[in-house]
Amino acid sequence: MIQSLANWILSFDILAGLGNPIAWGLSLFIVSALIFVFVAVNAIVLVYIERKVSAFMQVRLGPMRVGKFGSLQTVADALKLLQKEDIIPRSADKILFLIGPWVILVASVVTFAAIPFSDTLLAADMSIGLFYVVSISSIVVLGIVMAGWASNNKWSLYGAMRSAAQIISYEIPVGITLIAVVAVVGSLNLQTIVQAQGGTGNLFYWIPLPLPNWFIFHSPFLFLAAFIYLIGATAEINRTPFDIPESESELVAGFMTEFSGLRWALFFLSEYANATLVAFLVAIIFLGGWQSPFSNYAGAQIGFSILTLLAVMWTLFVKAKTQRLSFYPLGLSLMITIAAWLFPGFAIWLASPGLFWMLIKVGSVIFLLMWFRWTFPRLRVDQLMYVSWKVILPISLFNLMGVAVWMWLTGEIHF
Amino acid sequence: MSRLHAEEMVLNMGPQHPSTHGVLRLKLRTDGEIVSHIEPVIGYLHRSFEKHAENLEYQMVTPFCGRCDYLAAMGSEHGYAMAVEKMMGIELPERVEYLRVIFAELQRIASHLVAVGTFGLDVGAITPFIYCFRERELILDLFEMASGARLLYNYIWIGGLAHDVPPGFVEKTYEFLDNFETRVAEYNQILTGNKIFIERAADIGVMTPEVAINYGVTGPSLRASGVNIDLRRTQPYSIYDRFEFDVPLGEGTQGTIGDSWDRYYVRVREMEESARIIRQALDQLPVEGDVKSAIPRRIRPPKGEIYFRSENARGELGYYIVSNGKNVPLRVKMRSPAFSNLSVINEIGQGFMISDVIAILGSLDIVLGEIDR
Repeated sequence: MIQSLANWILSFDILAGLGNPIAWGLSLFIVSALIFVFVAVNAIVLVYIERKVSAFMQVRLGPMRVGKFGSLQTVADALKLLQKEDIIPRSADKILFLIGPWVILVASVVTFAAIPFSDTLLAADMSIGLFYVVSISSIVVLGIVMAGWASNNKWSLYGAMRSAAQIISYEIPVGITLIAVVAVVGSLNLQTIVQAQGGTGNLFYWIPLPLPNWFIFHSPFLFLAAFIYLIGATAEINRTPFDIPESESELVAGFMTEFSGLRWALFFLSEYANATLVAFLVAIIFLGGWQSPFSNYAGAQIGFSILTLLAVMWTLFVKAKTQRLSFYPLGLSLMITIAAWLFPGFAIWLASPGLFWMLIKVGSVIFLLMWFRWTFPRLRVDQLMYVSWKVILPISLFNLMGVAVWMWLTGEIHF
Repeated sequence: MSRLHAEEMVLNMGPQHPSTHGVLRLKLRTDGEIVSHIEPVIGYLHRSFEKHAENLEYQMVTPFCGRCDYLAAMGSEHGYAMAVEKMMGIELPERVEYLRVIFAELQRIASHLVAVGTFGLDVGAITPFIYCFRERELILDLFEMASGARLLYNYIWIGGLAHDVPPGFVEKTYEFLDNFETRVAEYNQILTGNKIFIERAADIGVMTPEVAINYGVTGPSLRASGVNIDLRRTQPYSIYDRFEFDVPLGEGTQGTIGDSWDRYYVRVREMEESARIIRQALDQLPVEGDVKSAIPRRIRPPKGEIYFRSENARGELGYYIVSNGKNVPLRVKMRSPAFSNLSVINEIGQGFMISDVIAILGSLDIVLGEIDR
């Protein structure tokens, strides 16, 4: 994307004199700024959505006062945080205290460079994209340990130590799970991984149920791998039920205890950037990335018709359970279905790959993460380690072998 | 190779900490995450209840009782009123007795809702807490209808009640009960049966019956250890002998008898039993009766002393009152259940992790207002 942007800049007569290096540098700057803006805006939107989702689950309204339906609440919160005093405890290790949050932020923002938002929207098409994302995102733990140690507070120290242990433990099963996918594709390039999931195929190769060629439907092993990855990734980004480094009821705020104002906002920003990153990875690796779930526009028409049927069933189910009629899912899916049948152009658009499908998938995964957060209690630190080393790691190793055997059975590889 | 040098660290949990249920300070000696000694430091909320009581007339002490256990104020007032009534030999109208039982049991549900909800919060589940508070709000609405206050009521007076309940109260209480009985199933769905919750609470902080009795633990925490002592059943006061209800005991369903899960679940089941009692009391509630008819003009108990205990939400609430025949008590001593319940924490919490200490503290359900008085 950077080179094409540079070429586009050079295509203007006035700017052609800049020369390739300067144009390239300029587009690099623009792309980086775009990514940072995406991460920042994304965090503000997600905080609002999270508060609304939690309110929905907890029979509350959530923010309602600032803006329509409280939509400007997080903007107001961000502005408040920006003008707060930046307190540095007297006994803190000043340098580490100052750079800790920035290390976390940078590590979580730069990973987005390798994420393909759509077939063309991609900052850096790296041949080792997946490896890059996994390795850079683990730098976050360094920042957490820096922040926790520098605060010179026992709670922060506990939080940082727990976090280090947790992230390192969960990286191993997550890595092995990802290797299983890499084995199927034969590439670490995220764009190639998404491209390998186009079209439709049978569920688990043999079961005659035409589903998109996403890796979650590739084999029972990758189906399991998707869930292992989701669990491991939830642990890696420190979200409930694995939020023990910042567990509010135990460690006050964990490694964030001593931070205030902008620095505290940076932790928040990187937390949501990480959650989004994980959602992107799940979508890219297991749910077909920017690929549309429909292989052609007839598929889109039929697919949304089935969705409408499901919505009818859901409405009846809710009616039977709560004696209340809610037409929102039904109305929405009915509208899309009618539009898909009436306007072929709309159906074609639904069937074509792009940013729309990517964001739908990412949004669903983020909603799932929020759902976890607002329903589950928190694991204890030793139970967390137990789950990682004694449950998930053996399963993921077994999975890796299983995928290899599966590929041999289906004839994808030969010995 | 020399051994890794490690030493114990003293961790001050509180007085400002999100999960110490008020202003409690726990001095933890920790070896890594393992806690080897717990020392509760109390007194941050001391408001000299007993000294106040020595300088106030009998009827003026009632509001102070409610301020001790602020999550179960009706129960505290009830206990105090009954103690003075027994000293003076007052016979109460039937309607007063029934209404008092209804309020005490509603208060028990409200208090247990806070206990169950905050215990969930302590182990990281936030949503059940909000669900519990949703139902507690309805109970507080009922209290507001009757007394005008939502937390500290001054409603149960010596010899009667401050006011009769307004019209529509009985119907609203029935409505609440119908609603509440389905809600308990909801709590069980979201929290009680949750695998992570069971992992966090089962086998944690096991309190054997011997330990519980030695430390004077009472209430749901004692019954969770399998000791069948409920003053409403073993020493029926007021009119509790007229109602049919079970005394839930800890059964060790998910682990050992007397673990945190049992303490939690005993409370959940006690809420159901309380709802049963309220339903029976509402059915039998006499329509006629002046709730103020038995309030004495001058409250001057005869010379002497009394120790009266009742089953409050947290356990056995005792009042020791010494009278010298004047209108001001010579001495009022309150036996606070939460104080004894807290004292056991070092015994049952040693060797567990920091997270478990939080869970154990949450499962003991303490109120600092009552401990410090």
